Amino acid sequence: MRNRCLLTSILALASSTMLATSTFASEAVEHDTVSLKATPLVHFGKFAITNSMLVTWIVALGIIFFAQIAMRRIQPIPSGIQNFWEWLVESLYNFLEGIIGRDLVRKTFWFFATIFIFILFVNWFGLIPGVGTIGWGHYDATGVFHVDRPLLRGGNADLNMTTAMSAIFFVLWLVWALQANGVGGFLKHLFAAKGETTGFIKVMMAVIFFMVGWLEIVSILFRPISLSFRLFGNIYAGESILEAMSTMVPYLSWLLPIPFYFMELLVGVVQALVFMLLTAVFTMLIAQHNTGPEHAH
Amino acid sequence: MIAAAAAGGVGDMLRDTAETFGWNPWLFFSQVISFAIVALLLRRFAYKPIVAVLEDRRRKIEEGQLNAEKIRKELAEAEKRYQEILAKADADAQRMIDEARQSAAHLSERKQQEAIAASEQIVAKAKEAASLEHERQMQALKRELGHLVIETTAKVTGKVLTPEDQKRLQEEAARQVA
Repeated sequence: MRNRCLLTSILALASSTMLATSTFASEAVEHDTVSLKATPLVHFGKFAITNSMLVTWIVALGIIFFAQIAMRRIQPIPSGIQNFWEWLVESLYNFLEGIIGRDLVRKTFWFFATIFIFILFVNWFGLIPGVGTIGWGHYDATGVFHVDRPLLRGGNADLNMTTAMSAIFFVLWLVWALQANGVGGFLKHLFAAKGETTGFIKVMMAVIFFMVGWLEIVSILFRPISLSFRLFGNIYAGESILEAMSTMVPYLSWLLPIPFYFMELLVGVVQALVFMLLTAVFTMLIAQHNTGPEHAH
Repeated sequence: MIAAAAAGGVGDMLRDTAETFGWNPWLFFSQVISFAIVALLLRRFAYKPIVAVLEDRRRKIEEGQLNAEKIRKELAEAEKRYQEILAKADADAQRMIDEARQSAAHLSERKQQEAIAASEQIVAKAKEAASLEHERQMQALKRELGHLVIETTAKVTGKVLTPEDQKRLQEEAARQVA
């Protein structure tokens, strides 16, 4: 929370600085700002391949390539990249197992691992110089080149990407919830009164929990929105800060972004972890009835 | 009308928000398809092999732990059996030693009794033999003494003693000896 406040403050400061700079500067000098929209590179009818999508494919191919290399010759005593890959995946597996339980992690690990590792590396990939600054553009009056259609864009700085991940999670969550509880159990989980009551109190509790169930449904429906906007907002803000720091003082453009690069490395980890933890906890909350008492935290 | 106006207002707001953030349904579905493919590819080629290895290793470790536990139990049972056998062997040995001691004591007692009996028997026999010998010697002595008395009496008196005199002298001498 403090990080986010700090982030917001810095963003506001950077934005105001940029605004002030642009006010005092002549109209001829253009300032680059990170677009809120991903740029379509290729169209297939109404569908399109965007620059953010291209980044996700590059990162996915990189992860697959690394995993294949790491697991090419499996040694009983791992070393090198096999050791690193095993450490990463096993740590994540054990971490998730501690949260959602052994049975559920077997079924859902592939998704949560994808969420964490994929989001993490997509976030970090967006920090590589060239992402967002190489592409098609134009020269301004002073002869400075401005990129209008970057070839690559941070994957999670595209709201379509984050909403797509959230939507896929929502569908999987629904499937796992129905598998764990059945349709009746799922509805009971949402609307049935909890606790042991009798008589009039029981009727009251049933009415209250029925109403709470509708609130729960609204809460569930808003989860994909909050998940996607949280990730998008943090990553987009980070890119905007880096852009602002790079252009605010031209002769210090090599120095000012450096502290923020370190912060963005951290934000990349935190946001990947937050997205994964929230999705895991949402899944655990709906599926915990069938995972045994030792896993019901 | 108010509801419709409100719904229209919300719709406009959503449309404006989507437009501001560059969200549109076709790009969204493109990303859904893209991410679904990416996630499935990662599942198949990135996580499946390593999860299989990790689960296999975990299974082997669990089996190893179970085996170790089983072996530990078997070892404890073997140790217990060994101690029981050792205790039983100790008890048996002790019992055999006790029995041997008892037996030896009995045997010793019996042999001692037999020796005592034999020695008593020997002593008795010896006494009997000695007594018989003594008796025999006495008889011989009496007989010899009788002869000597008869001869001496015959020589002293110078007469021939009758058998009755001889018998009487012999008896007299034998009585004197006894």
